[in-house]
Amino acid sequence: MTNTQAIEVQDLVKVFQRRGEETRAVDGISFSVKRGEIFGLLGPNGAGKSTTLKVLTTLIAPTSGKASVLGHDVVADPLQVRRNICVVIQENALELYLSVRNNFRTFGRFHGLGAKEIEHRSDNVSEQFGLRDHMDHKGIDLSGGLKRRVQVAKMFMVDKPIVFLDEATTGMDTFNKRTTIEAIKAESRKGRTIVLTTHMLDEAEILCDSLAIMNHGKLIAQGSTETVKSMGLRLLSVNIQFDKMTRQILQSLYKTRPVKVDVNKTDVEVTVRDEKQALQILASAKRNGSVKHFEVSSATLEDVFVELVDKKASGS
Amino acid sequence: MQAVLAVMYREFLIRRTSPMWLFFDMLLPLLYLLMFGVALNKAMGAGMQAEGITVSYTEFFIAGVLAMSAFGSATNQSYGFFIDRDNGIFYEFLTYPMTRGQFLFGKILFQCIMSVVQCGLTLLAGVYLLDVSVRWNSIPFVFAGMMIGTAGWFFLFASLAFLIRRNDTFNTVLNGCYFILIFLSSMFYPLDNVPTWLRLASLANPLTWLTDGLRWLVIGVGDASFVLTEMALFVVFLFFSFWLALKALQRAV
Repeated sequence: MTNTQAIEVQDLVKVFQRRGEETRAVDGISFSVKRGEIFGLLGPNGAGKSTTLKVLTTLIAPTSGKASVLGHDVVADPLQVRRNICVVIQENALELYLSVRNNFRTFGRFHGLGAKEIEHRSDNVSEQFGLRDHMDHKGIDLSGGLKRRVQVAKMFMVDKPIVFLDEATTGMDTFNKRTTIEAIKAESRKGRTIVLTTHMLDEAEILCDSLAIMNHGKLIAQGSTETVKSMGLRLLSVNIQFDKMTRQILQSLYKTRPVKVDVNKTDVEVTVRDEKQALQILASAKRNGSVKHFEVSSATLEDVFVELVDKKASGS
Repeated sequence: MQAVLAVMYREFLIRRTSPMWLFFDMLLPLLYLLMFGVALNKAMGAGMQAEGITVSYTEFFIAGVLAMSAFGSATNQSYGFFIDRDNGIFYEFLTYPMTRGQFLFGKILFQCIMSVVQCGLTLLAGVYLLDVSVRWNSIPFVFAGMMIGTAGWFFLFASLAFLIRRNDTFNTVLNGCYFILIFLSSMFYPLDNVPTWLRLASLANPLTWLTDGLRWLVIGVGDASFVLTEMALFVVFLFFSFWLALKALQRAV
């Protein structure tokens, strides 16, 4: 492993055996994450993202393969790995019977902070995440979104070089989601490596320097966000605004077999595989309805994601 | 050491917020002694024979209460894993900068301190309220016995808590263990005159080893070499339980 890499995963396999049944949750994946970058691990439910994160954070041991964090093997040297990471796990994790303040205090103690430093840093994160008015409330009395906020805020109290965020913004309102995204960006600028899994592909597109997409335990795409978006696919997004939406228009659009069609009243967003298909769509739209406005742009990460996952699922 | 202290600090904060838990940890065995011990002491009248020595039932029972409190605080502490698991915090802990052993050690060290306080309160009540004569020079060893006893049971029940995962199943197992282990032991009655099968089963029970050890230390009843063998067996049980708990914790996620 070169010293520019924060995480290195090689041929990682994790097999679960429950009641005689074998599930290959992670199936021979390899990737690396550079120091200081924001890396997104994406995939549909059950793709193996959280299992991969559990291996990297030493929660579970891999069945085979290797994974290391800052050069420390997750199996041979788990304590050194834990000394360099902090983790927002997928599940809500909070001391329900302690106040928010005491949640910060216990977390700080576990991470070796002194009493004064804990107070100072918990003041900062409570301000940053809008928790100042809730500091004396017990975890059990907080709403789901607030609980998640406390859980995420704790991670920004400590200066660990690598932060793992498993669906960190789940359950947060737009304001707090934005705060969290800003905090993640700020931490990355300070040189921290951030590894996140998310279902919010727009979020991943905004945040991530590089990505890996998983499906059925395997990696189906990886590279920089731009590379993944353009992976052998010339996906385009065609937005058309009609005067009036008719059944005939929709039928004609589906006939061209696009990747995805989203209809919102008289607006249609069609994801297509290439320029030729985009032209077909526009010609068909013009033939079957009155087009008020149209726009062709490169596809979003979400479009690429859907296409990649569908393509692998259909075996093409 | 910092990790162990952090675990203890967290335990302290949680107990401080729960007077009910404090009640179970500190006062329940004392109430057992005061109510159950006093009632049976009256019923037995002139006292009872244990290992050829005549003692009052309260004197006989006080070691049983101590063993019961070690057993009870260990089960309470291990039940806490279910609360941590329900809160999700259990999994987060396992990513903190500490070993699994430090995590378990911090938890049990805190509980051992609670057990020693509980033991002190029980002995004081025995001496000053129930006229029990205690071997004061053995008290440090009684405290050590309480710590070893609490740790042994905690590690065993923690292993079960990690492996069982469902708290309703764990509760059923716990109730079964309470019933079998407590009544198949020397906690409530001497084993001198019980049927052979009951005596043999009781002698294979680590709770008997702990109770006999504490009884010998507190009131001097028991054959020294036999009791020392039982105490040595309990230490083996402690190490086995610790190993089991570590293994179970590795598989707890």
